[in-house]
Amino acid sequence: MYSLSLSPEQHEFRDTVRAFVDGEVNPVALNAARLDLGDRNPPLEVLRSASRVGLRSLALPEELGGAGADALTCCIVTEELAAGDAGVAAVLGETAALARALFAAMSPQQRERFLPAFLEDDDCHLALADREPGADKALGIDYHRPVPQARALDATAVRSRDEWIVNGAWERVGNAGLARLFAVLARTDDGPALFLVPQGAPGLTVTEDPEPRWYHGSRGTVTLKDSRIPLDNRLPAGAATRGGEVPWPLAVNLGIGRAAYEAAVDYAKLRVQGGRPIVEHQAIGTKLADAAIRLEAARALIWRAAFAADRPDAVADASLPDLPHAAMAQAFAAEAIYRAVKDSAECFGAMGVMRDMPLQKYVNDARICLYGEGGTADLKLRIAEAVASYRRTPSMLAAE
Amino acid sequence: MDFALSNEQRSWQMTARKFAEEEIKPISLALDEAPDAHGTFDWDIVEKGSKLGLRTLAVPKEFGGEGTDYVTQAIVMAELARGDSAISKTFSQNWKWSHLIAQACNAEQKERFLRPFVADHRFLLGKGITEPSAGSDNRMPPKDDPKAGLKLRAERRGDEWILNGEKCFIANAPVGKLFFIDARTDPNAPLRQGTTMFLVPYDTPGFRIGKVFNKSGWRFYRNGEMIFENARVPHANVVGHVNNSDMKTEAAGDRTGGDIFGDLELAANALGVCDDACEAAMKYARTAKQGGRPLFDQQAVQLKINRMNMLTEALRSLVMRIAWEHDRKIHSANAGLAMNFSTDVIQEVTELNLEIHGGAEGMAGRHAEKLTRDAFIWSHLAGDSVQRLKVAGRLARMAAH
Repeated sequence: MYSLSLSPEQHEFRDTVRAFVDGEVNPVALNAARLDLGDRNPPLEVLRSASRVGLRSLALPEELGGAGADALTCCIVTEELAAGDAGVAAVLGETAALARALFAAMSPQQRERFLPAFLEDDDCHLALADREPGADKALGIDYHRPVPQARALDATAVRSRDEWIVNGAWERVGNAGLARLFAVLARTDDGPALFLVPQGAPGLTVTEDPEPRWYHGSRGTVTLKDSRIPLDNRLPAGAATRGGEVPWPLAVNLGIGRAAYEAAVDYAKLRVQGGRPIVEHQAIGTKLADAAIRLEAARALIWRAAFAADRPDAVADASLPDLPHAAMAQAFAAEAIYRAVKDSAECFGAMGVMRDMPLQKYVNDARICLYGEGGTADLKLRIAEAVASYRRTPSMLAAE
Repeated sequence: MDFALSNEQRSWQMTARKFAEEEIKPISLALDEAPDAHGTFDWDIVEKGSKLGLRTLAVPKEFGGEGTDYVTQAIVMAELARGDSAISKTFSQNWKWSHLIAQACNAEQKERFLRPFVADHRFLLGKGITEPSAGSDNRMPPKDDPKAGLKLRAERRGDEWILNGEKCFIANAPVGKLFFIDARTDPNAPLRQGTTMFLVPYDTPGFRIGKVFNKSGWRFYRNGEMIFENARVPHANVVGHVNNSDMKTEAAGDRTGGDIFGDLELAANALGVCDDACEAAMKYARTAKQGGRPLFDQQAVQLKINRMNMLTEALRSLVMRIAWEHDRKIHSANAGLAMNFSTDVIQEVTELNLEIHGGAEGMAGRHAEKLTRDAFIWSHLAGDSVQRLKVAGRLARMAAH
């Protein structure tokens, strides 16, 4: 059954978060000092308020104390948040997605130790440290070729009586500066494993990445030096790393685009030049029409990717073609939204480039989605491999 | 056809290139990354460039300037922009208005303003047209709304004019020493019949600079508000005739140099930025490695570099042709078309460069990102759609004749 209807819960989530953004996010995000690219620290007070309305544990299953939102609902919520502030949306998106993956993977004893603290502490964000310095995530030159050899992890976890001694360094760790609980990937005698490391663990150092930031939210480097971690902090084998593949970063991009577009529509109705509101001029009207088309097309693909994440059997029952839906949605959305944001900013004339005005921030935020890590260029290579049915074997994927 | 430069043109090109490489480029990124709008400017570079003649390049030789032709000016703008687009614009903005002084001011005004401009290495020029409620209305006045357009009021009192109102988004406002100000002298007449242009020195009583704007691109190039509170300007400072402002109208043609020079200026500046981006992209693609091999080994990267250079060379051909046509007083809509084209080209070329760099990380990536911010200014210069419509209008009028 083909249906584009949202469920009553999804409507409710959207309305609640939209009201939250109006009331709590926008007054902070639209402040001139925060619009200026000089201040990109995620506002902690806003993150706390968001946690109190359940957005930190949005994707955590209901039986574990979360809202149990599916991928599509997460995308709807993330878009609303990002329309207010991309940084806030990114921090909450990462924590919510990781909560779903990590707490589901934990043993009952681990859940008992870590879940209550996570649920009670509005400041408890999560981070996954799984990328080592020098690790090359790009497909690039290896397009349509087998990866030469698996790269062993440098980080090690060595068992010493009743503890693990963990040493390692990880970079580009999302939420690094805010996380109260890290999952770090290290090599053991019996293969790679994830270890739970709380903030304040001995030997743990976190450094936020230097300005200018080319990411949304928080990101940094994590190092562990001779850190002694309780034996029971090793996650069971097979723990999912990335959070159930909720395509929330795409929804961050969408929210940025919508914010710019809505601002442009409002302004075009107010600003009078040429004897009438500028929206009544074809040059501006068609720009806004193009922006609307691009945003709706992007949303359609993003929601389809979310639907694919929520319905693992969608390919098997031929509801969806066997294609990398999230990658395709990301590649299309990043380009389409960047164009929409630039056109929206242009409607503002000189104000579109002033640092105390929101448009230049939307342009910058959209540019990060397009040219940042995992930008469209490499995505297209991965999509091309899929289109040609070039399948990477599990060992090839593990090596990447 | 002959594409060769004269010895003099070649010599100016070398002077500008050396200055851009040795003086501008080393300071460009640090100034761009200054946190506030006041840290982005540097008088030393203005003085150094001025001593080479780069501030007075367009002033006729009889007034002590360099008296160069448009081809030279286009080449120098592009070379300087290769070091920093906004620094290039800071110099060429003076050429734009020194053309105006030389062409539209009377002999007494030239003596009074052009001489001190030439003599002082820190003397910068500006022009105030835009106001908070009058942007594109000044460029395309609506036929059905005669009151549209700038509102700054000038009223005659004896030998003086009293100016009241404000200007907004004015280039060089916080650093300029002399400004051309368009003011409404007949509030009941349509814009072009009721506006007069005044020469207003920065220390005019009742005139001050308000907010200094903090832009996301072109950060060296200062921009601010102008506030007039009973500012007193002598009648001797009226440019041309009362109620007949030599605004950037087509009627003014190449008499003022303002309009057509402005089109050429943006296209030539964009060309320099594109050259910088092409050079940076090639360097990065040949040195940065992925999977143990230079990025350049990838077809996807080669195709981007091809497109960047293809667009840049097309722009170069157009820019040089426009400059050559200006020197021969050949009138067409080509300069406007070149400016419109340069907006598309500079953005695509700098964005491809940023894409090759994989974002704004590291020194090379930060430079690539800066170029995209500078390039985006083109969409906001005097309203990009408005400029395209103006050019179309001009083409239609030419077709009608």
